[in-house]
Amino acid sequence: MMSTQRSVSLVATIVAGGLLLTACSGGSGDDVSDGGSDSSEVQIVNVVKLSGGDWFNRMEVGNQEWAAANPGYVVTQTAGDDASEEKQIAIINDLLPQQPAALTVVPNSPESLENVLSRAQEAGIVVITHEAPGIENAVANIEAFDNAAYGGFQMDLLAQCMGEEGQYAHMVGSLTVASHNVWADGALAQAEAAYPGIERVTDAISSDEDQETAYQRARELLATYPDISGFIGAASTDIAGIGRAVQEAGMQDDICVVGTSTPSTAGALLEDGSVDVITGWDPALAGEAMLAASKIVLDGGEIVDGMDLGIPGYESITQDSAIPNNFFGAAWIQITSENVADYPF
Amino acid sequence: MSTAVADSSTVRDRMSALWRRYRGENNETTLLLLILALVGVMAIVEPSAITLGFFGDIIRSGIVTLALALGLLMIIISGGMDVSFPAIAIFAGYATITLMQSLGVDGAVWPFVVAVAMGLLLGSLNAVLVARYKMETLIATLGTQVIIRGVLIAFIGSVYISVLPAQLDAVGATSIMQLGGTQVNVLVIPVLVLAGALAWVLRRTMFGRSIYAIGGDKESAKRVGISVKKVQVAIYLVAGALAGFGGMVHVVLSRHASPFEIVGTELNVIAAVVIGGALDSGGRGSVRGTILGVVLISLVQNSLIRLGVSSYWHVFVVGLVVLAGVAIQARSAAATHRRTRILERLETAA
Repeated sequence: MMSTQRSVSLVATIVAGGLLLTACSGGSGDDVSDGGSDSSEVQIVNVVKLSGGDWFNRMEVGNQEWAAANPGYVVTQTAGDDASEEKQIAIINDLLPQQPAALTVVPNSPESLENVLSRAQEAGIVVITHEAPGIENAVANIEAFDNAAYGGFQMDLLAQCMGEEGQYAHMVGSLTVASHNVWADGALAQAEAAYPGIERVTDAISSDEDQETAYQRARELLATYPDISGFIGAASTDIAGIGRAVQEAGMQDDICVVGTSTPSTAGALLEDGSVDVITGWDPALAGEAMLAASKIVLDGGEIVDGMDLGIPGYESITQDSAIPNNFFGAAWIQITSENVADYPF
Repeated sequence: MSTAVADSSTVRDRMSALWRRYRGENNETTLLLLILALVGVMAIVEPSAITLGFFGDIIRSGIVTLALALGLLMIIISGGMDVSFPAIAIFAGYATITLMQSLGVDGAVWPFVVAVAMGLLLGSLNAVLVARYKMETLIATLGTQVIIRGVLIAFIGSVYISVLPAQLDAVGATSIMQLGGTQVNVLVIPVLVLAGALAWVLRRTMFGRSIYAIGGDKESAKRVGISVKKVQVAIYLVAGALAGFGGMVHVVLSRHASPFEIVGTELNVIAAVVIGGALDSGGRGSVRGTILGVVLISLVQNSLIRLGVSSYWHVFVVGLVVLAGVAIQARSAAATHRRTRILERLETAA
């Protein structure tokens, strides 16, 4: 009796699971066919890490702005319902028979996409990526900025806020996240080169990408270095935790907090000065830069050093000296209490 | 400490008898001495670091760990292991906030009740797997952890919520007292009350004794008439409820809700419970020991920057102290040849 019940429920689970899978793969294809494939229109598909979420919704705003400014182009965005590489591979595979002119891809894991992107290129599809330095099967990978230069930019903002004088601490998501640590080194190098009055109190401190840990480490730093007057954060939750600690200590006016984040994470702390400047890059502009690069390649051009993509921050892109298909913009942005309303992501 | 005592051969017997008496059933005294020694080292190396605010920070950092450790303690005493509690905790905390947002309601106390109810419900998954299907507890809870977290992110939400509903947020800003520059949040009270209640249940009630009995020897427990199944169901339900409460405490104290938190901190909690004297094979453990375990871990984690230890060494140092704590317990467990605690207590009293 029991075993029949069990096997019935097992079968039911499998059937339900199967249905769910079919529903998912059906759903991901729909977005694209809805975009319409009139033969006179050039179709570009933007494949992002996961659907929904403020970040990629913001990128889609940029996509549509670009499409409106470039008649004849249709841009659609698609992604899996979570940030898994398997779903991204499946989606790109499904796109190949539809022959879009170009794919602008933000990979979850660049290495795992190499295969499917090489098939796309063989099929004559132009592939442009973002956040994937070192990817092989793309005409170009467009980064918003060079990481070391971005660290220097953060230091400039902090120095301006601190009056070019005082102690600061740098928090990173983890001591093993490459980009965070390049930012921290870049900031320190800039401080040593341009601001002799600014001193880092200790090595970069890890927050384990956790806001609560960032908060506790910030409290500890405040207690240990009573004269500290600046913080830089790298993970998006770092300055949210640091800002909370500064706020609770009532030192909003005495301490400058600058860091990579988004308004949806740390924006609420800008108001009373617990966080002073949020830095980062605008996904809308990154999306537009990828599209502009695709258009250049589709028109028979080539992406070269010093090229103007016609997008703010990407007016003169720099070619990576080590990786030929990697290009940097200078598209960092600074968000303060004054302009936070302009960045809804 | 115990070896130093044993070496002085003249008063050796009397000293060791005295030591056995004051050591505590789960080496609580050793642990306390280790904590005091660490604070002592800090006081010598960096005297300016020992402030009231420092102790406030340790309380702040340990309170969520303690809330989560209580449920785990029960499970470990019963001879099981649980790795699903962080997923249950963040599910309950985050889902309650999204529920409040979507219904547009606010409150200070009832959200905790909702979170506890959700925790209870999720704990029932473990209860069914462990009590009904007799699955290995580690494997069962590993499965439920992944499922619960998956459902949370796929169906409840993956969005970072930076502002909590106003009344609930006010709880996170309410302090009962100030230690140096640190506010001690009001949520310390319910967590300590729960700890006290659990200690009472474990020591004074039939249910509590049954948990120890099952952990000591399941077969014997069955023979003296304890319904292992019923006790296990109750343990996993209560542990789920405690995890739900702990998740809400985390969300309110940190004053934001993110579905990607807590999961990943389970090793801290497990270490705190084990350092506190709970034996991974079951039958031993106490609330007092667990509190000391939590204090030890929070102490180490919140003192390294103060001591000027480079961040490249932090993980290593924390690991070292955890290892020392666990080693003390492992050694003493081997030394006592797993005497049951009831016998030991009779001996100590004699």
